[in-house]
Amino acid sequence: MKTLLKPSDIADKSDRLCHVAPGELTPLPYPYEDFNQTVLTPLKPEKIGNIEASLDDTVAIGIPKPANQEEEEALVRQFLSGLKKLFEKENNWTFLQPLLLSMEHCAKCHTCSDACPVFEMSGRKEIYRPIFRSEVLRRVYRKYLKPGGKITAKLTGDIDLNWKTIARLAELSYRCTLCRRCAMVCPIGVDNGLINHEIRKLFSQEMGIAPKEIHDKGSVQHLKVGSSTGMNPMAAKDSAEFIQEEMEEITGYKVDIPWDVEGADILLIHNAGEMLAWPENVGAFAIIFQAAGISWTMSSEAAGYDAVNYGLWYDDVQFARVAVKHADIARRLKVKKIVIGECGHAHKALTVIADRLLTDDLNIPRESAMVTLENIVMNGKLKFDPLKNNFPVTLHDPCNVVRAMGIVEPQRRILRKIAPRFREMTPHGVENYCCGGGSGFAIMSGYNFAEWRNLVSSRKKFLQILNAFEDEPQAVPKYVCAPCSNCKGAIRDIINYYHAEERSHLYYGGLVELIVNAFEGMKKPIISFGEKPSWE
Amino acid sequence: MGYYILTYFCIAVFAATIGRLIYRHLTLPLHVRWEIYPVMHEMAERNVYGGSYMEKSDWWRSPYEPSRLNEFKYMVPEILLIRGLWKENKRLWMASFPFHLGLYLMMATVVLLLCHAFFILWAGTAFAADGIIRMIMNGLIPAAGWLGLTAGIAGGLFMLYKRLADRELRNYSTFADYFNLLFILLFFVFALLTVLSGDPSLNGARHYVLGLLTAGAFDPVYAPGQTIPGAFTIVLASLLIAYIPLTHMSHMFMKYFLYHSVKWDDIPNKRGSSIESAVIMNLKFKPTWKAKHIGADGQKSWRDIASSAPREMK
Repeated sequence: MKTLLKPSDIADKSDRLCHVAPGELTPLPYPYEDFNQTVLTPLKPEKIGNIEASLDDTVAIGIPKPANQEEEEALVRQFLSGLKKLFEKENNWTFLQPLLLSMEHCAKCHTCSDACPVFEMSGRKEIYRPIFRSEVLRRVYRKYLKPGGKITAKLTGDIDLNWKTIARLAELSYRCTLCRRCAMVCPIGVDNGLINHEIRKLFSQEMGIAPKEIHDKGSVQHLKVGSSTGMNPMAAKDSAEFIQEEMEEITGYKVDIPWDVEGADILLIHNAGEMLAWPENVGAFAIIFQAAGISWTMSSEAAGYDAVNYGLWYDDVQFARVAVKHADIARRLKVKKIVIGECGHAHKALTVIADRLLTDDLNIPRESAMVTLENIVMNGKLKFDPLKNNFPVTLHDPCNVVRAMGIVEPQRRILRKIAPRFREMTPHGVENYCCGGGSGFAIMSGYNFAEWRNLVSSRKKFLQILNAFEDEPQAVPKYVCAPCSNCKGAIRDIINYYHAEERSHLYYGGLVELIVNAFEGMKKPIISFGEKPSWE
Repeated sequence: MGYYILTYFCIAVFAATIGRLIYRHLTLPLHVRWEIYPVMHEMAERNVYGGSYMEKSDWWRSPYEPSRLNEFKYMVPEILLIRGLWKENKRLWMASFPFHLGLYLMMATVVLLLCHAFFILWAGTAFAADGIIRMIMNGLIPAAGWLGLTAGIAGGLFMLYKRLADRELRNYSTFADYFNLLFILLFFVFALLTVLSGDPSLNGARHYVLGLLTAGAFDPVYAPGQTIPGAFTIVLASLLIAYIPLTHMSHMFMKYFLYHSVKWDDIPNKRGSSIESAVIMNLKFKPTWKAKHIGADGQKSWRDIASSAPREMK
């Protein structure tokens, strides 16, 4: 039996702390057994020569190695300075109380371990255990920042703080999707997801270390250009124009996307990634709102047409800047409420987290699109023919919509009305499993990180999807409804990676596409499986 | 008198530590919402599946009305039966439940001993030797004591065994974790030895609590700690009272904050509310984060920084 890694081993001088060998990942069923021996493509030495890659088989950040001892020591000092700030109200009022409570009350009972899909699917690799990184942080905090810590460390758990510890901890904070299943099951209420979130913040806010996809190309680009996709306002309007034309061509429905309508009832903000990757989602929203006679608008102001807020995952300041922008745009448009499209993290960011940031006239009411759509579908104004959706459908619950916001039933009530062959995954609702793309993973693909996501963090979701459809013949097209852009991205990637369209006829999409597809009187379907329209 | 002084001192440490912990948490700045569903004070129709008030269209038009009854219905079995652990980790529950039951029954025994002492000191007639209240007390005190000690020892030994035998638990266990368990176990064992060595009705404990409340004046003839197990029990119980709030075992009462102030804190921020006032205060804090994109200098407030652009853009 192999010796288990201990939290103190994070300071180990080895070249790689953890490696997943062939056959160690949780096995996949027929017809995917050929993936059971698959492991990550090894990182090319020439690509990782100058960066820290000693945690496991992948790299999420790519932190440059310090050039000399002096630089190493300076980085250790910076880390400690940042750690101290996490416990100061001036610097971390946002999460100080939750952090203190989670740091001080863990009983190390490991109840959280079995709830973590990354830990489970990895073959129970110790570094992915939810309390591993929390315990590292606790030990460093107690030893290096608490009075008498160097002595008490011998009793409460010792650890060495060196560059390896820090660099690995930074990387390790990007092996957790922040799905917070661990926090949900903890009998005491300790939140290892939160501790992971705070580790990311420390690195970003004090040391300027974060994956480029979520900082440079993410929140910075969002604030600078207007969208994390790189689309400026003009490009966004062009995209919408293209979407209008496409919708008419695909469905025969002429739709008009309204821009910057002052005094509209609703400001609808999409994840701008939808406009590029899934334009039919944006189009379907427009069709539904137009058909229902809703007074709504989109904003063409920079950041106003992109609901994402990547700061939620790693940086409170970047988070606050984007949230304030969104609210300010809505304020100036004088809308009655903001409705957030099918984007899970944007839901939580603007509705829940920003709730204690926005004051006075910036505190515009915010609503989930699931709720708005339920109202439209259930009020009887629109007529549906559920048989148009007569194919197997399952629902993926985005963690940020369901576990973090308690919006569980509206989307289900819609599906029960318009999708006669809807079935649940097991487990579902607040006990759902993450798509594996949470907390930025869906958009992170440097080095071989996307492969790690497909093999490890999305594996549980893939198994859940296969289980949901296990009673269906292989040849029947099956629809995974994922009302969240990042989740859709992760599910798209697992379908592609495992050739699941060919092998299981798996397709994916949002909720609004299903709604539009079931419209009575709609000439052509919006959903098609491969070349075939869904109605055939 | 030395025993009494030790106990007084330990109770004072306990009260001061708990007081400090509670005061700290009551005075921390309001944090952002970080609730996790199910939130148990939701209305029954949503509570069953973990839904929230945000499932309602225009939810901000309705008053915020948490159901304390639903919260209570969840918390009572959670505290008394450790229901969460039963649901998620049954193997550990087999050890944890009797251990916690033992501790709860010890607390119940102390409460009963205090009631007994109050009756004797201040309600003499109502507490006549042949009275019903005295009969009930005489039954309850040894019942709670015996059951608590038995459950505590069984659970404590099982917990210790699990921590030693389960390699995953052992891997994260430190000296302090074993010490905490052994400390509590030692108390249970000495207390059991005390009642086994000729004091099945816990008369020594009754006398000791009476002595504590009267600084030894109630029965000058009684001397605490006459037997070795009895003396150890008093010393260990006193030290344990002082020690628990200094460790992670303070989750016994800090769980209130973990649940009510974080996990279930879903109070919306409405204009003109006390939440909004607290947020306005928070936005005045002046951060000193060093990363360039933050642009903090110790002079700019959170409000200034949140409405500025990251330095990469300038």
